[in-house]
Amino acid sequence: MKVIVIGGGLAGLLSVIKAAEAGAEVEAFSLVPFKRSHSLCAQGGINAALNTKGENDSIQQHFEDTIVGGDFLANQTPVKGLVEAAPGLIYAFDRMGVMFNRTPEGFIDLRLFGGVKNRRTAFAGATTGQQLLYALDEQVRKWIAAGKVKEYIGWEFLSAVIDDEGICRGITAQDLNSMEIHAFRADAVILATGGEGMIYGKSTNSVICTGSAAGAVYQQGVPFANGEFVQFHPTAMPGDDKLRLMSEASRGEGGRIWTYKDGKPWYFLEEWYPAYGNLVPRDIASRAIYKVCVEMGLGIDGKNQVYLDLTHKDPEFLEVRLGGIMEIYRNFYGEDPVKVPMKIFPAPHYFMGGMYVDWNHMTNIPGLFAAGECDYMYHGANRLGANSLLSAAYSGYICGPNAIKYIKGMQKSAADTPQSIFDRELARQTEITQSIYNMDGTENPYIIHEEMGETMITDVGVVRYEKNLLRADEKLQELTERYKNIGINDTGRWANDVMPFVRQLWNMLQLARVITLGAYNRKESRGSHYMPDYPERNDDQWLKTTKAYWTESGPRFEYEDVDVSLLKPRARKYD
Amino acid sequence: MGLITGNFLERKIHSLTGIIPIGVFLLEHLITNSFALKGPEYYNQKIEAFQQIPFLVPIEILLIAIPLAFHTILGLYYVYLSKNNVLQYKYFRNYMFYLQRITAIITFLFVLYHAYTARIARAAAGIEISYEFMNGILSQPLFFIIYLVGLLAAVFHFSNGIYTFAISWGITLGPRSQKILQNVCTALFFIMSGVGTIELIALAG
Amino acid sequence: MPDSIHLKIKRQNGSRDLPRWEEFKVPYKPNMNVLSVLMEIRKNPVNVNGEKTTPVVWDCSCLEEVCGACTMVINGNVRQACSALIDKLPQPITLQPLSKFPVVRDLKVDRAVLFEHLKKVKAWVNIDGTFDLGPGPRVPERERRWMYEISRCMTCGCCYEACPNFNSRSKFIGPAPLAQVLRFNKHPIGAMTQEERMETIMGEGGITDCGNAQNCIEACPKKIPLTTAIAQLNRDTTIHGIRSWFRK
Repeated sequence: MKVIVIGGGLAGLLSVIKAAEAGAEVEAFSLVPFKRSHSLCAQGGINAALNTKGENDSIQQHFEDTIVGGDFLANQTPVKGLVEAAPGLIYAFDRMGVMFNRTPEGFIDLRLFGGVKNRRTAFAGATTGQQLLYALDEQVRKWIAAGKVKEYIGWEFLSAVIDDEGICRGITAQDLNSMEIHAFRADAVILATGGEGMIYGKSTNSVICTGSAAGAVYQQGVPFANGEFVQFHPTAMPGDDKLRLMSEASRGEGGRIWTYKDGKPWYFLEEWYPAYGNLVPRDIASRAIYKVCVEMGLGIDGKNQVYLDLTHKDPEFLEVRLGGIMEIYRNFYGEDPVKVPMKIFPAPHYFMGGMYVDWNHMTNIPGLFAAGECDYMYHGANRLGANSLLSAAYSGYICGPNAIKYIKGMQKSAADTPQSIFDRELARQTEITQSIYNMDGTENPYIIHEEMGETMITDVGVVRYEKNLLRADEKLQELTERYKNIGINDTGRWANDVMPFVRQLWNMLQLARVITLGAYNRKESRGSHYMPDYPERNDDQWLKTTKAYWTESGPRFEYEDVDVSLLKPRARKYD
Repeated sequence: MGLITGNFLERKIHSLTGIIPIGVFLLEHLITNSFALKGPEYYNQKIEAFQQIPFLVPIEILLIAIPLAFHTILGLYYVYLSKNNVLQYKYFRNYMFYLQRITAIITFLFVLYHAYTARIARAAAGIEISYEFMNGILSQPLFFIIYLVGLLAAVFHFSNGIYTFAISWGITLGPRSQKILQNVCTALFFIMSGVGTIELIALAG
Repeated sequence: MPDSIHLKIKRQNGSRDLPRWEEFKVPYKPNMNVLSVLMEIRKNPVNVNGEKTTPVVWDCSCLEEVCGACTMVINGNVRQACSALIDKLPQPITLQPLSKFPVVRDLKVDRAVLFEHLKKVKAWVNIDGTFDLGPGPRVPERERRWMYEISRCMTCGCCYEACPNFNSRSKFIGPAPLAQVLRFNKHPIGAMTQEERMETIMGEGGITDCGNAQNCIEACPKKIPLTTAIAQLNRDTTIHGIRSWFRK
């Protein structure tokens, strides 16, 4: 049994561990050392209904909060599995030595997060993702030391190797130092390649989050589901190179959002949503901040920013529970959030959409699986805070064993696949690579990328007007044309950064159109997708999963009913 | 990297020998030579008493020469293993680390010279150590300076060595206790240097 | 306020290639950091002499000083490039790759050895499996806090770069893995296999190779209590050494 896992974040590493535990030979590919994967940017925590705070929390309540938070677009059966497994997952992490904050009795402490009323979020300071990732990194290192897992660090996934029966038999990948391309055989391939924040140019994502792998298999026939649902995190620090996340935990621990109106502080979230106050879900908070700044013109100093205020809290309390983000704000802004309120604005943050998979996390290509942010499974139209670490971990946790189950039921293994299948894909990728090296036009790929990001953020952002979406798609098509006139400034065959970026850029452009046209087609407002032209949710027509298929001329869309077998759709209210 | 035993034991012995017996031997020198402040006769009288210790030579070899050789040879190897970067990283402890290695070499050269002239060559020639003997050397300005440099280097190496010894043996753990010991060691350096210099002046007559 | 940012970058095509210096001037914007300047360069890769050149190669990922990827030597000091704010740096700003690791290209180096060292000291809790066995051990919050401090190490290599005893002549495993040993030795489950870790760091290149220059704690961007961890391990290994000697 041979399994290839792409991606070294939470979902990827848990897939590796679970597959290795089941006795498979695992090859783990990652762009960066696992420890530098994007999971580590998750700050606030991970949800599980541990109910240790005497608040009668329950798995059912976690389920309902997740479904309502996602505006009923998530398939309910998989979500049920997610919330049921959550406590066990936390305990497994706990045994691996994750330094969760503790109660005075030494139990795992829980805090409050957005869109919920019970304390349900386990956390390790404000670097929970980092701590979970490191724990898995350590466990995988143990497997590597034991010779059961082989790591390929600094390799980029290029494509799935698909045989004539349409079954995935392995991958092609490029070593980003030697620039050599190789084909690898595997009985099952798990993509755990994360989100695609780079499509928006600047976001809270790491620069490695290009979505290129998802874009590649999308072009090989894997449908991309719910692409239009992009979460904007309400509280990010505006920046020149990156929009740095200020965790929702800051509000969970008592942070208040305000701006000046008529010369006095105005706590608009508390006024508009008295029931949840500052802890409304992210899509709602983002829209409110957008409204206050862009539509009412009440941003601080006339700019697009409002205050996130923690100055009323005890400094030691803040250090112990939010130290990580305090440090980021101090280092990058030079002001101390203990003394001065932080300035924040919404930023692209998380992609609810992703590769379409069945409930076993397998794509429509047998043997090709997807787990983590790169799948579309658990968050519907909007993700609740602290559910992403959970879904990443959970999907890896079940994807590994599912891949093993699939392998055990296979007719013939990858070892029996003729070499010609691999040579064919290798030749195709070598040709694509060569054509990029040969690009000698006048366009700079980084400038095309920048323009794509600007378009996406202004026209496919928090608020989406029909005409802007059309304008964005036209711009994307223009960029696709200009792409062909790129001049590659570096033709070196050793550690060349430009060549892979040009390839990623192509894949990003494909997915950017999926997002834009998906948004244009969905004539309603649901979760993160808000169209002023259609301000209401429309369950009659749009309680459906979007599935985008790649064609030469752009994405083709199909729609599929959502599983609502456990909780009847109802109005989503937080006021 | 270990030279003899692999690592742990030899490093620990190296660290220990710096304090016991070598550091103790250094203190003994300061005490013995302080008798010079009470005049040449008194000094000679006390020195002679020391010479009367039974089994002096075996004691000198076992408790002084062998530990000193061990500490020196390994120490020089450890000096070789470090690549200093004080010009780049101008931290206080980094300067101390660098000076520890500089003083190691100075002390080594000085002890070689001192042990040869004041012990081996003298004994071979059958001359008794005395105020007059030391005065003969130290009254020459050049040799006085050599002795002064040797003294300061040895004292620095010893007092800073106490600081690192306390960490290497896990005595001072946190920054606060280390800071306090740092101050104690600094004071020790100045006291020992001062006492030693006064003694040298006394011996120089 | 300057109207441009002056950079001097040490460039190298590979580990066997001779390094050369190349200078760049980038239009000034407020609130830039070293990485955003490098990103500007690749949008228009032209050096100070007006010659076209290849974009500079460097490592980066998170841009918020949590991943450790963009570690380089900036104006002579090792640090992360993302948090090196231009407004706080004297110009010209010199950028060099880490000196203690093989250069891949320009500012990108190969730090695989850092992870090898973590493997060597078995820096993990040896759990039987990831299955659900119920809650882990209870941990006092006070204990948790200092273990958490150590577990924030992002394996960036700053402490290695600044340590005079980690170099091509020595086999020292460096400060960071030592702190990890302490963290896992003190964890209730990790402690069950502490002898293995202890024996490793008492071997070649282990804890006694530390020369107490204490540069590590000065250079650590996360201010991890490395020197306290090392001192504590000195105590623990000494006791362990004496105990096991008498047991023989």
